[in-house]
Amino acid sequence: MSPAIVILSVIAAVLAAYMVIAKSPITSALCLLGVLIMTAAIYGLIGEHLIATIQLVVYAGAIMVLFVFSIMLLNLNNDETDYRKNPLIFFGSIAAGLGLFTLIVLGLKEYFEKHHAQRLLGMFNHETVQKLGGNSKVLAHALFTQFYISFEVISLALLTAVVGAVVLAKRKVD
Amino acid sequence: MEMFDLIQMVAKVLLVLGVCLGVLPFIIWFERRGASWMQGRVGPNRVGPFGLMQPLADVIKFLSKEEFSPREVNKFYYYLAPIVALIAPICALAVIPFGSKAIIDGKEVILQIAPMDTGIIFILAFAGLEVYPVILAGWASKNKYSVLGALRGSAQIVSYEISMGLALLSMLIVYGTFSPQEMVTWQSGTFLGFLPSWGVFVNPIGAMVFWIAIFAETNRLPFDLPEGESELVAGYHLEYGAMKFALFFMAEYVAMIMASAFISTMFFGGYSLLPGMAEAVNFISNHFGFLETGRQNVKAFFEFISIFTKVSFFMFVFIWVRWTLPRFRFDQLMDLGWKILFPLSLINLVGVTIAVYFLNQ
Repeated sequence: MSPAIVILSVIAAVLAAYMVIAKSPITSALCLLGVLIMTAAIYGLIGEHLIATIQLVVYAGAIMVLFVFSIMLLNLNNDETDYRKNPLIFFGSIAAGLGLFTLIVLGLKEYFEKHHAQRLLGMFNHETVQKLGGNSKVLAHALFTQFYISFEVISLALLTAVVGAVVLAKRKVD
Repeated sequence: MEMFDLIQMVAKVLLVLGVCLGVLPFIIWFERRGASWMQGRVGPNRVGPFGLMQPLADVIKFLSKEEFSPREVNKFYYYLAPIVALIAPICALAVIPFGSKAIIDGKEVILQIAPMDTGIIFILAFAGLEVYPVILAGWASKNKYSVLGALRGSAQIVSYEISMGLALLSMLIVYGTFSPQEMVTWQSGTFLGFLPSWGVFVNPIGAMVFWIAIFAETNRLPFDLPEGESELVAGYHLEYGAMKFALFFMAEYVAMIMASAFISTMFFGGYSLLPGMAEAVNFISNHFGFLETGRQNVKAFFEFISIFTKVSFFMFVFIWVRWTLPRFRFDQLMDLGWKILFPLSLINLVGVTIAVYFLNQ
């Protein structure tokens, strides 16, 4: 693993931790943005440019803009509740979070150790993808042939969501 | 990584950065002189010949001003915003090809900083990041006018990104690739026998929608509502002074250069040689008796001149439009974006898809 990836991962981890403990919502949102950009950079460094750019376009360029925009619009700046008033709830929630995290880590560890030997590699590795004309071509081909039905169903679901959002918003305006 | 790779990479980065930041003073000078020329004024003409040293004087002024920030601002985001504003468009320049390839020391050097097969999405990603400095600056300034400017700016950029994306999609369907190099190769032929097969001739509606959306994305007049001097004082960068303001100012011009390079690559043949340049390459190569290698290098030089000319032309159009059209009202801007450009680009996309389907049969 190259040192650049280690540095980026450390920055991402620090930002992720700060996202949870930050007081103002806009700081949290921007920390999340930083985590997403760092992950995109890691994808780029291991040579997966398509995933990296898609990550930037979809998460950093679209979804986080909406988050930050709505936080700013609603001005959620001083809307924090002091959860530390009751020490039982405060320490209880920390303990519960740590317990859950340990369980997840243990479960993942067991899964990887158990299935590591019998892991099946897919048909696409770096060489085959390069031979077929790059990630974007392979992905597009898979989307429009093998996964055609699910692709169309998802776009229909998105269209329904857009129409629903417009209807809901319009009722409030009228 | 070999030493040669490292050196050529650094050289390419320095070339792009140097050209793009080096022409900034001249563009700013040209904008002010051009503005005064179009308005029948004289413009800055005291510092140096034709006032050419005026940007230098401005830089000295910006650097020697007091470093000041208002008391109520959110310091971290206040300083972060101008940095992000300049970084995003510079990063996007990394995938613009400025020549096919040069041959140095027997090795091929691709004249593009980051030759990746998803170049166009990369540019879109960093164009999408350009909304953050507007939001951050407006929000961190704790000023009503700044917040209004930031709200206008983000709404405008997000809205026009849709028509821009659809116009881009129609061109992607025509080219069938994300890679800027392949797009330029596609555009190097001829169309209908006499026109160069540039995207603008193949898909004129897409080019027009894209061009209009670019103006909104870069916050240039007639869509400079986030700044709107007569309404919002200076909009989102109202509370910025000295070099921090200068960074926003530079970012606007770098974003314009990036947009011009983008539209040249997508719609105007990129680095493919302009009419007459192929003859010039032949003439020079024959005159000096160059072989294959030298000929390719001369061609690469002329390709760079070609894209430089195209980018300069579009910078001129940016300035020309700014001093010709008045500013839109905000509802007019939103009407244009959502009720005209969006359906138009959608219909164009469907039309282009059908045409490409039947032509590829």
